[in-house]
Amino acid sequence: MIEFYTQIKWVHIACITISGTLFALRGLLVQLGHGGAARSAPVRWFSYAVDTTLLTAALMLLTILPRAMFANGWLLAKLTLVVAYVALGMLALGRAHTPGVRRLCYAAALLAYLTIIGIACAHHPLGWLYLWLA
Amino acid sequence: MSSTRKLWLGLAALLLVTFGVLLWIGDEVHQQAPPLPHAVLTVDGQTLFTRADMEEGREVWQSIGGQQLGTIWGHGALVAPDWSADWLHREAQAMLELLARNQGAASFDALDAAQQAALRVRVQQELRNNTYDPARDTITVSALRAQAMAVVGAHYESLFSNDPATAHLRKAYAMRDNTVGDMEHRRMLASFFWWTSWAAATERPGRTISYTQNWPYDPVVGNTPTPSSLMWSVFSVIFLICGIGLLAWYHTAQSHKEAPATPPAQDPLAAFKATPSMRATAKYFWVVIALFLVQILFGATTAHYQVEGQDVYGYALANVLPYSLTRTWHTELAVLWITTAWLGTGLYIAPVIGGYEPKFQHLGVNFLWVCLLVIVVGSFAGQWFAVMDKMGLKYNFWFGHQGWEYVDLGRFWQIFLFIGLMLWLFLVGRALWPAIKRRDDTSSIVGLLFLSTVAIGLLYGAGLMWGEHTHIAMVEYWRWWVVHLWVEGFFEVFATAVISYLFVRLGLLRARSATTNVLFATIVFMAGGVLGTLHHLYFTGTTTAVIALGASFSALEVVPLALIGMEAYGTWRAQHMAPWMARYRWPIVFFVAVSFWNLVGAGMFGFLVNTPIALYYMQGLNLTPLHGHTALFGVYGMLGLGLMLFCLRGIKPEAAWREGWLRSAFWLMNIGLSMMALFTLLPLGLIQLHAALEHGYWFARSAEVMDTPLVHLLVWLRVPGDSLFAVGAVLIALFVASLWLVRGKAPAPATQAVRDGR
Repeated sequence: MIEFYTQIKWVHIACITISGTLFALRGLLVQLGHGGAARSAPVRWFSYAVDTTLLTAALMLLTILPRAMFANGWLLAKLTLVVAYVALGMLALGRAHTPGVRRLCYAAALLAYLTIIGIACAHHPLGWLYLWLA
Repeated sequence: MSSTRKLWLGLAALLLVTFGVLLWIGDEVHQQAPPLPHAVLTVDGQTLFTRADMEEGREVWQSIGGQQLGTIWGHGALVAPDWSADWLHREAQAMLELLARNQGAASFDALDAAQQAALRVRVQQELRNNTYDPARDTITVSALRAQAMAVVGAHYESLFSNDPATAHLRKAYAMRDNTVGDMEHRRMLASFFWWTSWAAATERPGRTISYTQNWPYDPVVGNTPTPSSLMWSVFSVIFLICGIGLLAWYHTAQSHKEAPATPPAQDPLAAFKATPSMRATAKYFWVVIALFLVQILFGATTAHYQVEGQDVYGYALANVLPYSLTRTWHTELAVLWITTAWLGTGLYIAPVIGGYEPKFQHLGVNFLWVCLLVIVVGSFAGQWFAVMDKMGLKYNFWFGHQGWEYVDLGRFWQIFLFIGLMLWLFLVGRALWPAIKRRDDTSSIVGLLFLSTVAIGLLYGAGLMWGEHTHIAMVEYWRWWVVHLWVEGFFEVFATAVISYLFVRLGLLRARSATTNVLFATIVFMAGGVLGTLHHLYFTGTTTAVIALGASFSALEVVPLALIGMEAYGTWRAQHMAPWMARYRWPIVFFVAVSFWNLVGAGMFGFLVNTPIALYYMQGLNLTPLHGHTALFGVYGMLGLGLMLFCLRGIKPEAAWREGWLRSAFWLMNIGLSMMALFTLLPLGLIQLHAALEHGYWFARSAEVMDTPLVHLLVWLRVPGDSLFAVGAVLIALFVASLWLVRGKAPAPATQAVRDGR
């Protein structure tokens, strides 16, 4: 699959961008009291489509890239934050019972998302910090 | 004579005739099977292989997974080549090269077209000429062919070892290094592969078609479709159209004859308190869920091997869990969890029908459950030891891996499972017995249910009909008795009878019309179903009669599927017939999905690979799993889940159902399955079909096609659909767990109906 490395990487990046933007907008709708629109079936299924494509591209990259590239643990850090991001996202989009907790989770999920981007760009667990220090 | 009696007599006559013909064909297959000679000799009398070599070679092949690693005569796993087609083509190419060099050319490609054509004719004559001598029980090959066989044999001996020269092929074929550790075993394995390829090209005495009906397609060796393959394909389509026309006429003539039933005001089953043995079936459904989840995990791993060969995300998994094992367990678990769901349903429903709890029934249900667990764990452990080359051939047949797809268990475990099924038959039969004796309106449906129970119990016995050295053509014959007749035949009758009986008990159908419908449906289904078994055997060393009967009768199997929309509509309507039917909404929704996949997976994708001319090119390509996944899970899996949900309603009548989880699970599994079919299996199958038509079957299965970036990309496209499917399966597992773990009471039926918008 190395032949398609560039294309797969761009699909991955595009899906990350769409997924993050979609979450930010859905979260905003929830904060503005339009939770129904944020959780409507077309929006949910579009989100599933983007996220499963994102997952596919990520798994493909995992088999293409050399294992040595993950030696410093950045992938593990990223995956841990992805799990946290998904959990916080679910709470932010309605699972949490109070508006205050939803707001907090929304902010935390966005922070997790930005940290994930930093780790992915830096290929280092310190993410943006590593890029800044470098 | 009443119409019910006429239908019973019709069914009895049909089963008598069709099973008689099936057994007669079995005798034909036995008599006409390609000979396995005492020895294979060269013209100067040198022995190349003995029968013992080839038989032991087959044992070696079986012990490493057999049909779960590549295919023989098109049957088995899809990543590695068809060994018979691969050997045949390599041998022909090797002969062409040797002949070209004998003529002083640098290679076959260096010759001009006329010279190449002349050599091809010579090779074809040599490969197709039948040199089996019945008097001496030997096959004689020329010195040239012996040389070519040695070249191909060396390739295979290298491939199944850890020779770096063939490492790239092992990766492409998802084979672990040192698949066969012993050098002598590799030589014997090669001799078995050679014999299967010999039968694929050698013409039957006095005929111009090979023992395998000229399968595989390979113009280089002169293997092209036989006239009967084409002729019976055309006839089968005509039979299909006739059948659909007749059934449509019958349905139209029968409609409006009877007013619909008026359902009672209350759920008739609500008053029935689950007996201890019925409640004990809960653990069967927990096992169903556990096996289903593990099956998905092995399915994902098996699919992944198609792109990474021996690794899973960089981890060398093939060293501990190679492809042939993950695929074995994936396919076996499919049958096991679906069977467990149906066994559990039988045990749950029998006391409801019989109206009493037989003595020690509870103990019997628990004992059978423990036996099933021991069989799963014991047989899987044996298969691991066999495939990892840690068991030895001596014990493999009994405790290891038999290598026959879907019937892979060692013989000991097969016998154990057969005894378990007999126990199940006993437990269900004795609970049903009072209802059979009652001779009321429903006794015919109960009788049919009992008949299918007996058939399910006994027909698995067909899997015990072969021994360690039975001819492969006969093993295939009996194997399809199990896979086709057992799984596709009598489980279907059982399911139809169970669902009809439930609808009668719920007051949604009149017993009389339900009886007629079920008996008629069984006749229609079995009319195609019994002899339709033969469509799996077109190319497994059988005769032209198999093609004629298999094509004609398997086309009739599609007839009821073409009109299944009517059944689906009736099923869908049932949930709106009474407010309390909301309690059974989800089992019914799953039954409607069964109808949908019956049409698409079994009907459309099944018929795609059904006619002899289509299967001639498509056997063992990805169009086969397209039918396999959509029919096995789509129909039988959905049915198993639907039946499980029905039983759970009775086992936990007070529990609140998280319908949102069920709804999501239902749609995610259906959409995921559709995506798997449309994004990967169908396009991949079509790419292979094009390759087969263009160059020959061997090419469609070769690494040149299967180990390309485009094919890998299509395999990766399974991830989105498979992920949705897996999430759906996890949700249904969480739903089942919630019935026990989360407290909460079900709302009253009327309230529930209002909440559902009715």
